[in-house]
Amino acid sequence: MKERARNEILTVSRTLLKEMAVIIIVAAIIGLAWNRRMLVESWTGMVNRPAPAASPAAARLPLPLGIMQVKELFDRGEGYLLDARDAVTFAGGHLKGARSFPLGEFEARLPEFLKQVPKTMPLIIYCNGYGCHDSMDLGKKLIQAGYWEIFVFEGGYPEWQEAGYPVEGKKP
Amino acid sequence: MTHTTRSYLTLPLRVVLGGIFIYAGTLKIADPVAFAGNVAAYKLLPPFGNYLMAATLPWVELLCGLLLLLGLRLRAGATLILLMNLVFTLALTTAIVRGLDIDCGCFRQGGPKTTPWTALLRDLAFMAGALLLLRLEKRRDEPSAFSSASTGTNHPE
Repeated sequence: MKERARNEILTVSRTLLKEMAVIIIVAAIIGLAWNRRMLVESWTGMVNRPAPAASPAAARLPLPLGIMQVKELFDRGEGYLLDARDAVTFAGGHLKGARSFPLGEFEARLPEFLKQVPKTMPLIIYCNGYGCHDSMDLGKKLIQAGYWEIFVFEGGYPEWQEAGYPVEGKKP
Repeated sequence: MTHTTRSYLTLPLRVVLGGIFIYAGTLKIADPVAFAGNVAAYKLLPPFGNYLMAATLPWVELLCGLLLLLGLRLRAGATLILLMNLVFTLALTTAIVRGLDIDCGCFRQGGPKTTPWTALLRDLAFMAGALLLLRLEKRRDEPSAFSSASTGTNHPE
């Protein structure tokens, strides 16, 4: 009797596991197919290049990039690195080749920046890692200012430094 | 508990929990890149893992929500919701322990920030809901399991 009841429970839980597996597999297949472009692009380090005039500036947001994608762009010499932290922090160490553009001095620095950097230049903005939102805010402002390709490296300086990638200005 | 009492309890629970997960899944499906960014903020997965998670997880949420709402494969749907919330709770706890100042990324991507603490409490409530649903479902099955065991007839499941 007990044996039968136990077998019954085993059958039920096996059915449950099978059903759960089917749900996950179906969802995963749909999800992978649905997002195939995003996945291929993130895997190959290629990034979404929004076609100009496809959407109004207000609707666009900076695109987050992972450290591997940033490193690839860095190695290829593509993209313009922008440091959104304040000037003192910048002076204490930053990504090699990055240019300082503190969010707090946006209005003051924008006119000169507009003169020097074409609007088609891809910009990669970072600040102090995931807890820091300055890079995202700066990215939004630069989109408003007319820049087309804005990426945010959310891991920022801490992740870059931890990975041992090139930095400069770091005090010993 | 009579069958009717149980369905009076099960139905609103199914609709509310199912609705919440359909809502959560749909919002993420609409903006997978932003969701990938929010997953990355937890710093738990490798870079591509964040995208893989962002591509698939919302669909599991949506599918489970639909099953609950429609009353199909209730136990599998509720168990998966329970397991997903368990994972969310663990991820949020590690975020709190590591002192990460991040948005939970649970529903709308971007916009007003939901702190890990709020999200944690909310997830615990969802888990309680899923557990209650599973209990109600189990009670409905138990008597039949015993009767089939004693009479020797096969349970249709």
